[in-house]
Amino acid sequence: MDKKPTVAEKTVVQEPSILHESVIAPLVSYPIEVVVPKARQQTPAVGQRATRLDGRLHGLGQTGYIDDITFPGMLYAKIKRAGVASARIRSIDTSEAEAMPGVMAVVTGKDVPCNSFGPSLKDQPVLAYERVFHAGDGVAAVAAVTEQIAAEALEKIKIDYEVLTPVLDPLESLKLETPGVHAPSANIYQSKVIKKGDIEKGFAASDHIVEGTFRTQMVEHVPLEPHATIAMWDANGRVTIHSTLGRITLGRADVARTLAIPISRIRIVATIVGGNFGGKNEITTEPVLALLSKKSGRPVKSVFTRPDEFIASTTRHPLIMDYKTGVTKDGRIQARKIRLILDGGAYCSWSETTLGKACILSAGPYNIDNLYAEAHVVYTNKTMTGAMRGFGAPQVCFAYESHMDDIAHLLKMDPLDIRLINAFNEGSLSPTGQTLQSVVVKESLLRAAERFGWHSNGKGSTNGGTNGGAKLLEKENVNGNTVRV
Amino acid sequence: MACMWYPIGFTVAANPSSAVVKMDEDGTATLLTGTVETGQGSLTILAQIVAQELGIATDDVVVVSADTDATPMDTGAIASRTTYVTGNAARMAAEKVKLMLFDVAAPMLGVKPHQLEAKDHKIVVKGYPQRNMHIADVANHARVVTGEPPIGSASFNPATVALDPETGQGKPFGTYVYATQIAEVDVDDETGEVEVIRMVASHDCGTPINPMLVEGQVEGGISMGVGFALQEEILFNAQGVQINPNLTNYIMPTSLDMPEIEVDIVDNYDPTGPFGAKGVGEPTLVPTAAAILNAIYNAVGVRITSLPATAEKVFNAIQAKREAEPKQITA
Repeated sequence: MDKKPTVAEKTVVQEPSILHESVIAPLVSYPIEVVVPKARQQTPAVGQRATRLDGRLHGLGQTGYIDDITFPGMLYAKIKRAGVASARIRSIDTSEAEAMPGVMAVVTGKDVPCNSFGPSLKDQPVLAYERVFHAGDGVAAVAAVTEQIAAEALEKIKIDYEVLTPVLDPLESLKLETPGVHAPSANIYQSKVIKKGDIEKGFAASDHIVEGTFRTQMVEHVPLEPHATIAMWDANGRVTIHSTLGRITLGRADVARTLAIPISRIRIVATIVGGNFGGKNEITTEPVLALLSKKSGRPVKSVFTRPDEFIASTTRHPLIMDYKTGVTKDGRIQARKIRLILDGGAYCSWSETTLGKACILSAGPYNIDNLYAEAHVVYTNKTMTGAMRGFGAPQVCFAYESHMDDIAHLLKMDPLDIRLINAFNEGSLSPTGQTLQSVVVKESLLRAAERFGWHSNGKGSTNGGTNGGAKLLEKENVNGNTVRV
Repeated sequence: MACMWYPIGFTVAANPSSAVVKMDEDGTATLLTGTVETGQGSLTILAQIVAQELGIATDDVVVVSADTDATPMDTGAIASRTTYVTGNAARMAAEKVKLMLFDVAAPMLGVKPHQLEAKDHKIVVKGYPQRNMHIADVANHARVVTGEPPIGSASFNPATVALDPETGQGKPFGTYVYATQIAEVDVDDETGEVEVIRMVASHDCGTPINPMLVEGQVEGGISMGVGFALQEEILFNAQGVQINPNLTNYIMPTSLDMPEIEVDIVDNYDPTGPFGAKGVGEPTLVPTAAAILNAIYNAVGVRITSLPATAEKVFNAIQAKREAEPKQITA
């Protein structure tokens, strides 16, 4: 072989060693020859299975995430979390932390020019001031020359708390006698109602009434890349922020508001973000890092640890969902009544959107002339709930589709048939009275059923279903036990 | 099985996107957008939309994104809105570039601008494909001869009508998408453990701008839905402090938990979207948990009404059902 081996080939043939250059050698072969896949070169462009612009860089490990970026003189920031769900802050003593060699700046809530933010209600502090509303609240931040020193400095910050009884259960929070999480504001901080037709008339015209209550849990987005920020305050009084934000234009306005400086003095640069799923739709540490940079005159970086990601970023709203449906014996829905209670956590965040979408979508993709849906979101002293892929829709879909199967079971109908009987058509009116266009819910039901083999999987399981799960009748499970149906 | 509907864009509130498209003298183009690539492939989708409007290939479009000093306003990667809202803005900005090219090419081809179309790297007289000029020649002429470098900007915001506060009546969204997912599960009745074996996912997204990226979104959404259905839960102690804020005790699905996934894209076209496209990001997860829970019900006859359906919950429900059933005493 007279060809000069490429870097990639070399790394394969050489002996492995921890000191070996293969550990740091780029995986790409030089000189770089870019092969453009055909789908990226074809016209018309729409409909092509074009590979991604960033795919090759990801594949070769050349994408620069914030964790990979450094600037000369850059400091590392850490944020101290409250660790108590509800408390009054009597005092914060940062003097010992500030005196540590290597600590370049410390900030607390009193240093934030406008210490509140939020996409609708501005009820969330950048750093807790006087009160703690959930255990993940940041109470102080440190910038130091190394991450280790910043972490050690957090331990030296002394906070005196008067611990209060937290409100944790959303149904408790609803009650009038429960103390207000954000008193004097009420615990129910937003509500939504959708009314269509007359549900009492609809229930009266029904052969059966089916009721059910469904609950969902709190989950995290768990993006591969945690929240990360670098802030650099320059001598012109302009701050450049590299951020994992998914919404830079609005993030910039929020940062300007909290720092009380004009929008034009802020530049936000988002790198390629390693997963969002709704969790990176609002500012988190950006104002804190900007202040640490201003105070220290250095670029400052912070990357959330995985525990930070769980306790200090938004999560999915847990829902408690009551459904009541009136149906004729041939499976036509006459009326539906729904009540949704959303656990809104400590701050509003994207609750307004989640509440609205959950309420609008809660009846399912079905023609229901008589509908009453109400939704309420309440404060608790738990991790704030906010935007997460689906904004309440996965929760209500779990409820309305479980409920539909319960109705099918009662009527001894095929779950596919009851859906086809009630599903939206082109031009159907939505629960809010909108005329729907490009409606293909029935097509999707029929195509999925055909692809799955819904009807060929045997009918007549003991619970009245005829779906593919009935395949389990003849099937042995992983442990070799025949599944009882 | 579970079906669903899901809207594209914000609820009533304005959620505009702006875009700038420019073409250089060799017929390649640049899109400036304020949206952020968060792993879903949206910048590739936007490049395809711009390329389609200009009659060039995806690889001929470079996308500059997510720098507030350089890129125009965008509401961002949220509410499954990028393909629909930013895509419409990008298409309209590209259309302005195209119309500038038509103005330059029309006298050279001896026709009116409205008789032209952009297709396969050429500006072509409609119905007379032999009457054409290469798009690079037109773009170069525009810059070096007529002095009109092609550039266009546009904004788009979905048309909505505010909801009545009493009845909730109104038009909260520009458009919606629809989907059905069907799960096949294996339930171990001795342990309550549920394994999702297969998912068929039939999704509407309007025109699929890039079917491969639609499939990627569906597969990713289902992985998130499997965790939501069976495993994931943030737990608190009595004082309101999380007790499992780590990936050792907060159990997420891994590739070993993933079912076989069959993605089916339902033919559809929405006249309000760019080239008929709507969106697909969030909806991919919406019916997953419901489909899995209904399959559990079908397999072992127990209705789990709270998520996640952990092995413990399923096992207890199976036990309770057995105890409630009349016992058969053999003679």
